[in-house]
Amino acid sequence: MGNKQTIFTDEQLDAYQVSLFSFPRLHGRYHELAPHLVPMDYTNEPDCKVPLALIVNMPELKENPFRNRIVESFSEDGMGNLSFNEFVDMFSVLSEMAPRELKAIYAFKIYDFNVDNYLCKEDLEKTLNKLTKEELTPEEVELVCEKTIEESDLDGDHKLSFADFENMISRAPDFLSTFHIRI
Amino acid sequence: MSTVSESLDGSSRSLSAARRHKSIRKTSRRIYSAYQDHQEGSSDEEDKVDERVDSNDPEEMFQNIQYQKEIIANIRTRPWPMRRKLKVLKQARETVLRYEGRLTRTRGYQTAGADLLKKLSRLLYNIVVLFIPWEVRIKKIESHFGSGVASYFIFLRWLFGINIVLTIMTGAFIVLPELLAGAPFGTTRSKTIPKEHLSSAQDLDTIWSLGGYLQYSVLFYGYYGRVRKIGSAGYRLPLAYFLVGMAVFAYSFIILLRKMAKNSRLSLASASDESFTFCWRVFCAWDYLIGNPEAAESKGAAIVNNIREAIVEEQEKKKDTSLAVLISLRILANILVLLSLAGSIYIIYFVVDRSQRLEKEKPELTLWEKNEVSVVVSLITMIAPSAFELVAQLEMYHPRTSLRFQLARVLVLYLGNLYSLIIALLDKVNSMSSAVQVSNSNWNESSSFLATISHPEGNSLSTLMSDISLSKNHNSTTATIATVLAVTSRSSSGDVYNQTAVFEKNTRQQDQCWETYVGQVLLSDWITPEYGEFKIAENVLHLIYNQGMIWMGAFFSPCLPAFNVLKLIGLMYLRSWAVLTCNVPHQQVFRASRSNNFYLAMLLFMLFLCMLPTIFAIVRYRPSQHCGPFSGQEKIYDIISETVATDFPVWFSKVISYITSPVVVLPALLLLFMLIYYLQSIARSLKFTNNQLRMQLQTERTEDKKKVFQLAAARLQIPEAAADKKSDHEESNIASQESSNHTPSPCQNSSTTNFESPVHRGNCIRTITKSVSRGDLNRGGVAGSIRSPAVTVLPKHWLEHIPNRPPPFLGGPSGTCRSKSYHHMVYNSPPHCSDSIHSDPLCRKTVHSVHPVEAAGIITAQSYRGRRGHTTRYVIVNEHEPRKKLLRSATRVPRHYFMEEPTEIMELYPRNVRRYTPRNAHSKPRPHQSHASQQHPSEEDEEEDQGKGRRKMSLGKSHRPRSPSNLQQPAHFYIGDRLETYITISKENHTAQGRYGAQDVDEEENGVGEIACGDEESHSESQANVRVVDPLLLQTRCHIHSPRRQYLPQTRARHVEPHVKSKSKQKLENVQTESDSASLASSSDQQNSSNDQYIQVIHNKERYLKSGARQGQMAKKKSKTSFDLKITESNDLVCSNV
Repeated sequence: MGNKQTIFTDEQLDAYQVSLFSFPRLHGRYHELAPHLVPMDYTNEPDCKVPLALIVNMPELKENPFRNRIVESFSEDGMGNLSFNEFVDMFSVLSEMAPRELKAIYAFKIYDFNVDNYLCKEDLEKTLNKLTKEELTPEEVELVCEKTIEESDLDGDHKLSFADFENMISRAPDFLSTFHIRI
Repeated sequence: MSTVSESLDGSSRSLSAARRHKSIRKTSRRIYSAYQDHQEGSSDEEDKVDERVDSNDPEEMFQNIQYQKEIIANIRTRPWPMRRKLKVLKQARETVLRYEGRLTRTRGYQTAGADLLKKLSRLLYNIVVLFIPWEVRIKKIESHFGSGVASYFIFLRWLFGINIVLTIMTGAFIVLPELLAGAPFGTTRSKTIPKEHLSSAQDLDTIWSLGGYLQYSVLFYGYYGRVRKIGSAGYRLPLAYFLVGMAVFAYSFIILLRKMAKNSRLSLASASDESFTFCWRVFCAWDYLIGNPEAAESKGAAIVNNIREAIVEEQEKKKDTSLAVLISLRILANILVLLSLAGSIYIIYFVVDRSQRLEKEKPELTLWEKNEVSVVVSLITMIAPSAFELVAQLEMYHPRTSLRFQLARVLVLYLGNLYSLIIALLDKVNSMSSAVQVSNSNWNESSSFLATISHPEGNSLSTLMSDISLSKNHNSTTATIATVLAVTSRSSSGDVYNQTAVFEKNTRQQDQCWETYVGQVLLSDWITPEYGEFKIAENVLHLIYNQGMIWMGAFFSPCLPAFNVLKLIGLMYLRSWAVLTCNVPHQQVFRASRSNNFYLAMLLFMLFLCMLPTIFAIVRYRPSQHCGPFSGQEKIYDIISETVATDFPVWFSKVISYITSPVVVLPALLLLFMLIYYLQSIARSLKFTNNQLRMQLQTERTEDKKKVFQLAAARLQIPEAAADKKSDHEESNIASQESSNHTPSPCQNSSTTNFESPVHRGNCIRTITKSVSRGDLNRGGVAGSIRSPAVTVLPKHWLEHIPNRPPPFLGGPSGTCRSKSYHHMVYNSPPHCSDSIHSDPLCRKTVHSVHPVEAAGIITAQSYRGRRGHTTRYVIVNEHEPRKKLLRSATRVPRHYFMEEPTEIMELYPRNVRRYTPRNAHSKPRPHQSHASQQHPSEEDEEEDQGKGRRKMSLGKSHRPRSPSNLQQPAHFYIGDRLETYITISKENHTAQGRYGAQDVDEEENGVGEIACGDEESHSESQANVRVVDPLLLQTRCHIHSPRRQYLPQTRARHVEPHVKSKSKQKLENVQTESDSASLASSSDQQNSSNDQYIQVIHNKERYLKSGARQGQMAKKKSKTSFDLKITESNDLVCSNV
């Protein structure tokens, strides 16, 4: 992006293009985040990570209530520090061309705040509060959480496993069009 | 794990050839292990190993390569971190390269070519994306304001596409030929501007109102020549004109319907719309595309609203109190809306009519009179929507629903108004076309009314209608319509009324600053400078309305689509600019989904409604006589019949005439209706099945849950039951027997439990668990419906009932015949027990256990198992029988039983009652069998002991079954015999023998015996389970009944032979004697009793003797030996079969 020239080997470029849904400009964006950290030359696959605080300020994520969770769930360390590969990974999954199943997997990760592989009530409350900026009263939040679990909990354990979640999300008409970030 | 399975899925999907699977598996193992290894070293090693392995087999190598390619192709869809993806990709590519090098060179080239192709296609795709109109712009809007706003632009673009096609159709087949080959401008009357208008033809206002040169151009219908063939090629322009006009509608319909079908396919899931209300509102609410702070703000507010609404809805659902009120409110609201719609339509029609009258009557009109129509119309269009909105609040719909209602109502309002105008117009046209016939002379004036409009002198032109009437353009009536439509659509607002206003002011009061007015209208339409919410819904409605105008006018003005294309382009830029610069998306978010069919449904509705007047005009009215391609014809569609008549062979016109005759048309119509009905009913049934399946899925899931719970509960209960059993066993050997019996009785699995019961002592828990599982199986099996309830209940009852229930309950619980039988049994048993030395508590326990079983379902369930058991039991019997059979030839019977059991079970329910006893017999036989096994080594001793005990029992019991009535019913005898035999068998190993003996006797006595026996067996099996439940009872009974039979069989082995014979003969006698005694026990079991009697008589002797001495020993032995018995029985079966 811009006038700076990022350097990748042809092989690298090709590999990224094969494994990604959207590569263009990604490195440029990544570099922009932390010009002092990220080298332009990626032929040696340098090991550098951009901290969460910087990534979250991208205009694409800035308004997203789940921005921290998004970044965290794509980071290998779970703390939100993204290497370029993870960064690319994130926007690949969130791109338009990623299949529903893939999106569902990461959506589940994003909403799973406590990383216990279940969406429990606690997760739902956090999701709701982020979504509504805590405008709902606790009673309302409680009700919505209950209802949500009631609707899609198939195995009766009062929390949503990934299977429950996927079943629910696979019927959502808007999921594909909304779980999608364009960069 | 998940990755592995996924990748496996992928591989299996991609690799179609079954023969490849082996190698694939190998490779996949290799590959996956490599993936899962994060250490490159190991994977590399594996690769090398693989190389060596594969290098020899080109086929395998090829497959490996294919597989690696699969990985490469699908790597995007894997939920792996990028680093792993890259590594795997690299690895896969390396292997591909390596292996491919070893394969033929052509393959290498092929892959290189494929790679190149892939790159090219990627490049091409990127280029194509560049050419998708406004893609970038829409994406930008989407990423700022979310997909809701973008959906408007996508819809707009789609309409743009349609209009492009329409433009091509009309342009290529009508406009271009006319321009190229038609008569040039000025050569014919219809193509010449009248002299009096020539001076003003180039005026801006004339042009703007589509008069002057525009009027006499290819834009309008009137310009096209009536020559049948034009140009050197003989292009049939009029025909083409007509066909294209129809094709426009056809294409629009098809494209619309296809789009709708596609959408509904996409949104299949949303058919079951509200099932995930809250989930979707929570998890799918946020539009990740939103990057604009304002948009985010309003989206957040919208989400809160949404969730609150859902909560309110939920709470209202719970209330359900105001339903009646709500319904009445909604009805009221709809009535109000209808009234206002009707009122507005009436007012418009009235005003139009009045203005026309006024025109005729008055030469000069006041300002109000001139502007009446437009003012009224615009007032209505202004006020009505807000009125609807008010009314909608009455209805208390979900906001989305109410928005839809609102849109639909506004659309109907527009259409109604439009229609009232059009109808008024058509009225005028009608009168004109009739006037044309009278006076055809003024063709000069026939040029469209626009000409007169452009006339400053057109004094009397206050409204469109007046224009038309006064201008007396008899010929170009259609053209006038066309121009009206063209103007309206071109002016872009789609507001006919505004247009009419424009016309009025335009025509009459040029000095009245109509430019300002038009400017205002256009500004309000084209430029939206206000800073406000972007109302998607209204804008979409606007688009739809606009498109409707195009459809309506396309026939009269072939260039309309082209204009519309231009307009849409303008709209796109204008709107996107407005949205991007100053608009914030509507707070009330309209369903953003692209798969939303609502817009399209409205569009379809619009298309239909707009097609109607056009079709009506085509069919109903006479075309203008001096202009247009159809001039001179009586009707526009005559062009078709004319062409058919002149340009096609005679036969074709004949065929056509046939086809269009009512003879064909009516049946075709009927057929269509039938087809529609059929398809609709199919759709309905599919919907129904769909629902059914969903329900089934739901219940299936809940069932699964229940089963899991049951299993868990069973596991918990088993130990308890085991403990109970153990305690019982510990108390006494008899007790142990009882416990074994008890366990089966409560459980449906009684047969299994019974078998296990001997084992119980060792592993009570295990046996129980098994039994439970079997019980489940049984439930699933035959008796499913009946069983399921009973089964679920059983285990619990079991545990509970067994310990505490008193004997009286035994009789009480079961309402069915079986229950009766049980009762009988029970009643008999207690005394017998006492008689037989068995402790009363034991008897009670067994009885209790039986009662818990209660439900018939249980019994049936048991019956299945019982059948299995029966087979084994029969085998046992056979074992004994061989001895007997040798004497009697009873071997056949067992076979029959086996065969018959499954089928007969169902039928024999009534007999089952009796069979219950047989089951008991079965259960008993085990112990008895055990004895029998023991007997084999020391049969005589056991038999004797048992016989003694039994005899005692039989003495007591013998009284029950024996009833004089039994004698009368031979068939019953079989049953009874069986029952008795079963009982006896179950009670004692001897019973098996006894059964055979009894059965044999029955057979001998009655041919029916086989069937009955079979039935009995099945029943007995099923019952046996139940009966088994009451080991004590069985035992007691055995003692009572069995003494007769059991003794017989046991004795039969040794003694039976004589006994049987003697029995058969003596039966009647014995029965009578015994029946008297037995009648006490089982009045209902009369039939059985009769049979029993025979047997009993014989047995009684033996048993009485044995039972007394042996009962205690017997019980122990039985429980211990039951398994052995089974085994031995199987062996015996073989023997018997032989």
